[in-house]
Amino acid sequence: MIEVSRLTKDYGTVVAVRDVSFSVGKGEIVGFLGPNGAGKSTTLRVLAGFLGATSGRVRIAGHDIAEAPLAARRSLGYMPESAPLYTEMRVSEYLLFRARLKEVPRSQRTSAIGGAMERAGVTHMAGTVIAHLSKGYRQRVALADALVSNPPLLILDEPTAGLDPNQIREVRALVKDLGSDRTVLLSTHILSEVEATCERAIVIDRGQLVAEGTIDELRARQKSGGLGLRLRDPQGRAEAAIAAISGVTVSSASATPGAPGRRELRVSLGSELDAEATIEALVQALTQAGVGIHAVVPELASLEQVFSELTRHEAALAGAKPTEVVS
Amino acid sequence: MNGAFAIYRREVLSLWVTPLAWVLLTVFLLLQGAIFYSIITHFASTQDVSVDTGPLQAYFGQESIFLLMTLLLVCPALTMRVFAEERRSGTIEALLTAPVTAASVVLGKYAALLTTYALMWTPTLLYVVILRKTGIVDWGVVGSSYLGLMGIGAAYLSVGTLMSAMTKSQLVALLLTIFVEFGLFILGVGEYIFDPGVFRDICAHVSMMGQMEDFSKGILDLRRIVFDGSVAGLGLFLTTRVVDSWRWG
Repeated sequence: MIEVSRLTKDYGTVVAVRDVSFSVGKGEIVGFLGPNGAGKSTTLRVLAGFLGATSGRVRIAGHDIAEAPLAARRSLGYMPESAPLYTEMRVSEYLLFRARLKEVPRSQRTSAIGGAMERAGVTHMAGTVIAHLSKGYRQRVALADALVSNPPLLILDEPTAGLDPNQIREVRALVKDLGSDRTVLLSTHILSEVEATCERAIVIDRGQLVAEGTIDELRARQKSGGLGLRLRDPQGRAEAAIAAISGVTVSSASATPGAPGRRELRVSLGSELDAEATIEALVQALTQAGVGIHAVVPELASLEQVFSELTRHEAALAGAKPTEVVS
Repeated sequence: MNGAFAIYRREVLSLWVTPLAWVLLTVFLLLQGAIFYSIITHFASTQDVSVDTGPLQAYFGQESIFLLMTLLLVCPALTMRVFAEERRSGTIEALLTAPVTAASVVLGKYAALLTTYALMWTPTLLYVVILRKTGIVDWGVVGSSYLGLMGIGAAYLSVGTLMSAMTKSQLVALLLTIFVEFGLFILGVGEYIFDPGVFRDICAHVSMMGQMEDFSKGILDLRRIVFDGSVAGLGLFLTTRVVDSWRWG
């Protein structure tokens, strides 16, 4: 559905997106991931036809956006960041306008608008003036707008930004539901969002593609796993016990404040080890050394580390301070 | 063109559901009423009236400077938000990612402004009806006078649309438009200032007052219409280019 090859976009002297290539297949839900200011919105704006690419080619549903911009725009529903709407209009008026603009045939308009409002959950707000809607509802109206022409491709720029946790859950469920019969590309800086809704992620940082793959593939890129341990260890024997196991190193150790004899350790496991067997050996060694184990917390599960590893690495190369990642 | 029509309908709705059009309409009609009233009282106290002048000719023609001054105020205020507001609030992004061309967007918005302008003038038809009660009204002259006003409006609104596309600030758009339109107007005044020559001829040709004086006598000068149309066309063409250029911003 989307083919991007060597896309570059600069704003005068600032290069926002540099030489990015990726593709999104039919029926996929893909997360477009990156820290704030990475070039996510710029890329999506180019895909949606709002901005022109400085160089590179973009094809949407087979239409080149430079050569057949209207055909490309016809086949996608785009929801801009922060959901800008005409606040003086009623929800139903706005969607009627958008349906007309998107060339929904007259005979299908009523059902298209009704369907879009229902899917986005704004049917009961149809008669409300948009200025009186909360942020969450505006977001949904923008989503209904993206859906109104029933496009095969949806491009959503930060669909959950500024929503409360309940609304975020609803939007995620909706995106998953929408993904069952169409292609969705959504951008976010929130990792759990990608884990919750997407099959695949594209990670961008400082305008460059840093990783691409399924969630599992990305997880596998993590160079080393870690464990957090909470121990009762008044004599401080834990380090010696752990050191006896090859490939396992203690990366930090501290006494739990306000609890005498309790300690917290972080250990990292070499990537060549079998994690499960190593944890077993570790627990055994600690028990034999007379250390009480209160908790073993694996730190393998999160994409977050992969993400911050990927983006920090890039930042370090650029000689700048690490990019802040909001989770 | 479907897209242009959809935009046209939305713009007209949006102009008339927000206070702007109503405020402007009120100010506009108050000013027109004051002008018309003073012209009528003047004629009521005049003993001998020459053949080719009357209250309507004075209102649309000889005294058209007053009427044009109100347009210099109302037209820029009408156009200032048309693109500036969309760019400030970000709605332009939704608009330009719909399957419409820049030309459709510009035409739809411009047509809505022109319609609103025409609607603002319709209550002044009452003046003609009032005069009809006490005298004879030449409907041909009334028609040509309104045609002249529409021509001037077409030019002014096009300039305003262009200025609104050039900035995100409505205030800047307003000031720029007043500046340019006042410049156009002043150029016409040159007809009464300069010595006979090429420059004076140019001033006479572009004079809005001259246009209204001709049209209020029923003289439909094609050159005037071509001039108004050229200003409007150039403004719209440039606006389309500006809208297209945002993709490369």
